[in-house]
Amino acid sequence: MTELGQNLIDALALGGLYALIALGVTVVFTVMGMMNFAHGEFIMLSAYALYVLAGLPFAAAVGGALLTGVVIAVFVERVAFRPVRNADLSAQLVTSLAVAAILQSVVTAAVDVRAQSIETPALISESTQLGGISVPNLEFLTLGLTAVVLGGLGWLLYRTRTGLAMRAAAENFEMARLLGVRADRLIAIAFAISGALAAAVGVLLVMQTGQVSPGMGLTPVLIGFVAVVIGGFGRMFGAVIGGLLLGALSSLLGTYLPDDLVPFRDAIVFTVPVVILIFRPHGLLGGDINKARV
Amino acid sequence: MSRTRLRSRFSTGASLLVPIALIAFTVLLGVYGTPSFQGTVTLVLCNLIIVLGLQVFIGNSGVYSFGQIGFAASGAYVAALLTLPAGISLFQTPSLPDFIANAQLGPLLSTAIAAVVCGLLAAVVGLPLMRTSTLAIPISTFAFLVVVFNVVSNWDPMTGGSGGLVNLPRTTSVESAGLWAAAAVVVALAFKWSASGYRLQATREDEVASRSIGIGVMKERMIAFAISGVLCGVGGALLVHQSGVLNPTTFYFGATVTTLTMLVVGGARSVFGAVFGTLAVSTVNEVLRGVEDGASLFGTVSISATPGLAAIGLGLILLATMIAMPNGLSGGREAGELRWIRRLRSMAPPSLPEPDGAPAGAPRIERAADNALSAEGISLAFAGLKVLRGVDLELKRGEALGLIGPNGAGKTTLVNVLSGFQEPDSGTVRLDGVDVTGRSPARLARNGLGRTFQAALPFPQLRGLESVAVGAMGVGVGRRRAVAVATDVLGRLDLLDLAERPAGSLPPRDQRLLGIARALATQPRYLLLDEPAAGLSEGEREALVAILGGVLEDFGCGILLIEHDVSVVMSLCPRVQVLDDGRTVRVGTPEEVQADPAVVESYLGSSFLVAADA
Repeated sequence: MTELGQNLIDALALGGLYALIALGVTVVFTVMGMMNFAHGEFIMLSAYALYVLAGLPFAAAVGGALLTGVVIAVFVERVAFRPVRNADLSAQLVTSLAVAAILQSVVTAAVDVRAQSIETPALISESTQLGGISVPNLEFLTLGLTAVVLGGLGWLLYRTRTGLAMRAAAENFEMARLLGVRADRLIAIAFAISGALAAAVGVLLVMQTGQVSPGMGLTPVLIGFVAVVIGGFGRMFGAVIGGLLLGALSSLLGTYLPDDLVPFRDAIVFTVPVVILIFRPHGLLGGDINKARV
Repeated sequence: MSRTRLRSRFSTGASLLVPIALIAFTVLLGVYGTPSFQGTVTLVLCNLIIVLGLQVFIGNSGVYSFGQIGFAASGAYVAALLTLPAGISLFQTPSLPDFIANAQLGPLLSTAIAAVVCGLLAAVVGLPLMRTSTLAIPISTFAFLVVVFNVVSNWDPMTGGSGGLVNLPRTTSVESAGLWAAAAVVVALAFKWSASGYRLQATREDEVASRSIGIGVMKERMIAFAISGVLCGVGGALLVHQSGVLNPTTFYFGATVTTLTMLVVGGARSVFGAVFGTLAVSTVNEVLRGVEDGASLFGTVSISATPGLAAIGLGLILLATMIAMPNGLSGGREAGELRWIRRLRSMAPPSLPEPDGAPAGAPRIERAADNALSAEGISLAFAGLKVLRGVDLELKRGEALGLIGPNGAGKTTLVNVLSGFQEPDSGTVRLDGVDVTGRSPARLARNGLGRTFQAALPFPQLRGLESVAVGAMGVGVGRRRAVAVATDVLGRLDLLDLAERPAGSLPPRDQRLLGIARALATQPRYLLLDEPAAGLSEGEREALVAILGGVLEDFGCGILLIEHDVSVVMSLCPRVQVLDDGRTVRVGTPEEVQADPAVVESYLGSSFLVAADA
């Protein structure tokens, strides 16, 4: 029983992490209609900020990581994505792939292709006993952060003018523009939020693994993408559900899969969405982005 | 008299020969180079085969796949395992079944088997993936790549795991890689110019319009995906037998970015672009590596992501191409379509096709009185808003029926229901007595239902003749006969001068007429025209009426005409149906309809009545 409880908390924590990734991808998608491959590199660069600032107090280093995520995201949008804003979905996707490749190779050239290790604060790597279950403090942090982010995003979307503009833009970007929503500002805000979310994920990943590497953003961004596909494109709620499902699945597979199959966990995790797509070609919540008025 | 072709023999020949000449030149460079340069050239040629594989799918469908390197990996592993030298497998792959471990096949057979396996794999993987949307395909194919990588790098007893395989026979030479690459060029062009290739290109140009001419988007993507899988598998199989080692990371993210860059820089839509882009990007890559090494130019090259300058350079090139030159160096043109190559022939603009007088293969339909497209009790609501409330309609073959009514009356929605783009909440649609309610637009088009849209929805990159011919191909007519049909239709509509011009470059009027020609090329028994005269000038409207009158005469199909311009309807349609607020107000002759006060009120507003009375 306690073991089950433990596994469920693990599953929830990983699901929360994946939901944060998926949200970061979705925030940009809803406003700009772009799947951003470079989101993984936002995560990676924030993690490297933590590595570079390792000498500073932990809180300051985390602040630096957050700033890095936001600045990089806004900068990349301005330099690389704005010129292709009106291009089709595929062109935007490939552009973001190019940005991802560039950022990855810059870090590879500047630091090293190999992983670098980072010390994590003792408080985070310890566990807390809770009714017979030993819960790593990192999982509390992840779950807490997910809850805070969800609440914050909800507040932003439903209680502020910016949120109203974002929701309007998600419904119909052109119409929102005609009604006076400032596209440049709105998209910049979306990227800033996305960058902050990426930074949070980057910090959590470093806390979890204790290391950084140039390729560390690849799996997360794919997880984010797949979660978005499962959840139905452009739906915040769908992205959260998709992320939770993927994380829980991955975590539970890690626990219950026979030992010799554990290395194939990723293969199974990424096959499941395909099976879902067989039955629900437009995701669980059924957003159909190809819907065209004829 | 010569048969009309989609492109001249000269253009076809140049499009084939120029890429092959480029390959031959590259092979010659390699043959006379140092051994290490020879290795580099061989790798470039293997990459080229993979890039051509990407072109077949991405270039023709316009949908990006990030998973094709997964097929290259599969091909590499299949070929490697089939050619393991005696004894090696005991150490590297102990669990491998004996018949594979001891196969020790030659290069040709192992490559062929790899090709077949990858083709089948692509078909199996594509079956679910091609069902998803244009944006979900890149993501789910990327997931496929991760799955392949995960499996090959962890299944140690079968694949050698993350350590990979070594001591494989190095059988791929510059010459053999060149021959395979040339064959890949032929395959890619043959597909592009096949009926299936044209149908797929039509889905790239406009998915909705392509469905209206009978094209099954999923099926066409599926075919290209499988062919692409074969080519990528061959490329991977040859690659591994060049280097003699197989490392799973060779076929992962780095290779995906590299090959995509080659394709996009050259211009994804054309085979020439794929070849040119691969050679150009490889050259730049080698130079950058030379700078990186400081000294030795043209060292050995691998396609995996390498740290440093070269990788950054490639990324920047890809980014710059996407921003500044999205059509790539070739502009998406085949070699035979390049201006300077056409100029070589120093001739007047290509001769326009001539209808050869022979029947275009479209057996003119006999007008049977009992045949009709009919709808009974069609009702439809969008989120509670009732758009259609029990509408009946009958369109007989050979007749022109006008459908008029104020904005929001439900005319276009009714046409969408009739043509399968919208399923009704209730009611039935019958095509010549058969219940076809709920059939897909593509199937209905193949059953003889053509339509146009309020927007022209052209296929911008296809020339006029191609745009119309693909209409016939869409309903399953072979390529040659499709050209004859298209020439015939264009001739009857007096549009032959549009044949050689890209549809995207035409003025709106011509795009609209080309849309009607495209629908007619599907040889419909019923043709639904949604506001064909919108945006036309007075004179153009009269010309359109004459053309549509000719269509009735020549094609014998039934025409349903939605039109706001009452004069167009009145001069063409002996019968008019008036729709208002989702209901039929009146069906009758133009005179009867015009005299009906209810029609006048709904159509012109009650104020008109008052004014008329006064």
